[in-house]
Amino acid sequence: MTRSLSAAARWAVWLASLGLFCGIAWTRLDREHPINTDILAMLPAEQGSEALTAATDRTRDAFVHQVLVLISGDDSPATREAAQAARRVLGAAGLRSDDSGLAVNRVLAAYQAHHYALLDATQAARLAQGGADAFSKDVAVTLASPAGIMSSFDTDPGGYLTRFLSALPRPYADFLPDGPFFSALRGDKRYYLLSLQSQGTGFAQQGAVQVTNAVRDARAAAAQACPYCSLDATGAPLFADAARNEAQGETIWLSAASMLLIMVLIAYVFRSLAPHVLAALQLVASVLAACAAVVICSGSIQILTLVFGTTLLGIAIDYALLYFAEYWFGDGTPARVPRVVRPGLYMGLATGVAAFAFLLLAGFPALVQIAVFSIAGLVEAALVVVLIFPVTLTKPSMVAAHAAVRWPQRFITAACRPSRWRWLLPALALLLCIPGWLKLKTSDDVRELQQLPPELVRTDGAIRSTLEQVPPPGFFLVEGKDLDEALSREEMLFTRLHGSLPEAAPLGLSRFLPSRAEQQASFAAWSRVFAQPKALRRSLAHLGLPAELADHMQAGWKKDPHTPLDAATLFAAAPDFKRFIVPSGQGVALLSTVTGKSDIDATVLEQAAAAVPGALFEQPLARIAATFQRIRVRTTWLVVIGYLLISMLLVWRYGRREALRMLYTPLLALGVTLGVLGGLGEPVNIFVIVALILILGLGRDYTVFLREGGAERRSPALAVSLSALTMLCSFGLLVLSAVPALHAFGIATLSGILASFLSAPLSLPPRESAGA
Amino acid sequence: MKHALLLILPLWAAAVHAADTPPVTQFDSKFVQTRSLPGFSAPLTSRGIMRFDKAHGFHWEITEPYHYVFDMNGDAASETLPDGSVRALDPSQTPWLAAVQNIIVNALSGDRSELQRYFTLAVTPLPKGEQVELTPKQGTMAEAIVSIKVTETAPGHPQEIAIQETSGDHMDIRFTSPAP
Repeated sequence: MTRSLSAAARWAVWLASLGLFCGIAWTRLDREHPINTDILAMLPAEQGSEALTAATDRTRDAFVHQVLVLISGDDSPATREAAQAARRVLGAAGLRSDDSGLAVNRVLAAYQAHHYALLDATQAARLAQGGADAFSKDVAVTLASPAGIMSSFDTDPGGYLTRFLSALPRPYADFLPDGPFFSALRGDKRYYLLSLQSQGTGFAQQGAVQVTNAVRDARAAAAQACPYCSLDATGAPLFADAARNEAQGETIWLSAASMLLIMVLIAYVFRSLAPHVLAALQLVASVLAACAAVVICSGSIQILTLVFGTTLLGIAIDYALLYFAEYWFGDGTPARVPRVVRPGLYMGLATGVAAFAFLLLAGFPALVQIAVFSIAGLVEAALVVVLIFPVTLTKPSMVAAHAAVRWPQRFITAACRPSRWRWLLPALALLLCIPGWLKLKTSDDVRELQQLPPELVRTDGAIRSTLEQVPPPGFFLVEGKDLDEALSREEMLFTRLHGSLPEAAPLGLSRFLPSRAEQQASFAAWSRVFAQPKALRRSLAHLGLPAELADHMQAGWKKDPHTPLDAATLFAAAPDFKRFIVPSGQGVALLSTVTGKSDIDATVLEQAAAAVPGALFEQPLARIAATFQRIRVRTTWLVVIGYLLISMLLVWRYGRREALRMLYTPLLALGVTLGVLGGLGEPVNIFVIVALILILGLGRDYTVFLREGGAERRSPALAVSLSALTMLCSFGLLVLSAVPALHAFGIATLSGILASFLSAPLSLPPRESAGA
Repeated sequence: MKHALLLILPLWAAAVHAADTPPVTQFDSKFVQTRSLPGFSAPLTSRGIMRFDKAHGFHWEITEPYHYVFDMNGDAASETLPDGSVRALDPSQTPWLAAVQNIIVNALSGDRSELQRYFTLAVTPLPKGEQVELTPKQGTMAEAIVSIKVTETAPGHPQEIAIQETSGDHMDIRFTSPAP
């Protein structure tokens, strides 16, 4: 950009370019979902993902909305009163419990109308083999058993329908329906469980706060009804609210402390308001341009892009500080400042863009977005410096160089003197890092990134232990060309699971709707029984039962249309069963799961699924971890490749020997950071990788600024020092965070930026007269 | 999926916990059971023994016209079939057994507090003793049973249990004398 452009023209060009950019983005914006919070969407598109995505969404929705409230006490009536009081409060707050009484009658009617189709495989095989004798024995048992009163002999002469109904899945092992509750007696203690669904999005702030408040009020109401009873609650909305409260409190004080420190520092050094205003302008403009670039490319922006991208744009503050240092404390007039800073600025921008450009090749939507975001942000930040700063900082600075301005120059000068300490100290630092490197480990488990409130974790464990229900580690997806094939495959899967995990309780549509093959086998078994009426009469008579019974049952069999129970009939009776079916482009996919009284080994579930055609066991958390791992590994390699390109740029600009010297700083900072992380037992996760990219970028900028600005001059040294200090204030403070992800990020940036700053003079050749 | 799961819950409403069973008195008696089925001219008659106590649990034995035994004690239940084979039952998979056993035990023991959760109780004084009529309040129990009438000479001393089912079946259990 030339000096001939007037101030108005510069502002016009800048505003027009930014406005045009944002305008184009506005036309491309997905207004319904401007910010995409689905982490799984970061994965490249996969085959068959439609059903998997739908199933993941469905299970996630069920998880995020569920709230379990357990009321317990020694006195049954009083505890029930407390539970009733809590239920009233929770219901008034919008938490709903399921009421499915009407549908039950319809389902029972459907099952009764098709009872001949509902023999399970064992019963069918027994009747097919034993014929009339086996059936007669079952009739005798049904008539003799005390439980016979609960089944109609007319529609269920062998008690098979009763057994089918009894074998239907239950949600909580020993808790039985008791009015609107599930209840159980353990020792002398009576428990009442309320299973509720929250409204809206469980993780959304409003919904989570609503649930927390409702539980608090319910606890008060229960205590009023029964002072000696206790109420415990668990569920994703409660965790979300507690975690958000903690994070918000921490964020507020960390941000305030960071902002205050930076403002005091800038004000102390420059004694002016202008740096604050211009830096804020540069930051806002660069984030706007970065978001617009991503929206133009993708239509919406990933939440991770926003978080990580904005963090990486912290590098852009270097450009502003370089300009400020030269303007306030440089050697020339304001008109000379742009010319002086431009080489360092352009070189820093070129190397920064080169580093991020390689992320465009990642193949992961999120990494591509982060690359687009960072490149556009850096270019915009440089544009603001080049276009706007020269026309706003036009009068000569009246601030005299003071002690705080001089010490960076002294430090650089001292560090550039020829001395064995120039290689001895870095070598010693690296030696000390070796134990840390050896202990370095990686982690991609999202659960390790967050801090769960310990009290809620204990309560959740206690409730799950009382219910004897451990949430499954994932879900099954069974696909078939049609519903019947999918049902058959699910039956095969459940049979396998029963073999390897007899205590576990599978839950899927086939538990409620047997496959056509199983129903046909049931009809075939009954045909065998009624094929020889005389034999049936004889068998019953042999047991002392009237032969008339055989005629009665024979008539019932003949009257039955022998139509299998189909999905349409079952869904008409109970539409909620449709939730087991998920959309699939190539047939039908069934969603199912399995619960246990203790943790279930996911490997066993994976093996069971692998043995059944069309079945897979999906672990959403493991999938997210795998996504993070792939991003982490690929990012690492792309950054390495990016630095090879940067090395070539440096060789082109400074020659091979000096280029190698300029790589000391970022590489040393990288080594020290990894050593510190390993030494402190902090794992390398996706957050740490972002921190490392930031550190490498800062280290690279420091060397370029010092090299281009001149080691003997005051302003480059000041710019580098201010950058390091502001970065330490903003990111280094995160070391105090209780959130593991932010804590690790803080450790990485703290150690990395310190190492970058302290080793920056190594990028310059030693000189006797430096700083003269 | 959860909704579908919850849908079947009321099916279990009748299954009162075996663990919920209140302390019961000892009971030991022979009985004659007659079961009238719609469409059959003569009722099916069987004879047997019923006993329960805290140590041994619930024992139901049919001695005529064939031999059948049902035993339930805590979480363990088994049946001895007419051919002499013994079949272990999983109470968690056969909640009706626990429910029926509990209803019978509560009815016979005169403990009406648990019964009142599921039944409306109507007590009719008799010249000697009283008759307690249990009418299911709602849910699946009401789908299966119209009423249960327990006739007792004194609380805890039952004479007869008559069960009228919605299907039209009728079951009558008359206690005759202490089991040998």
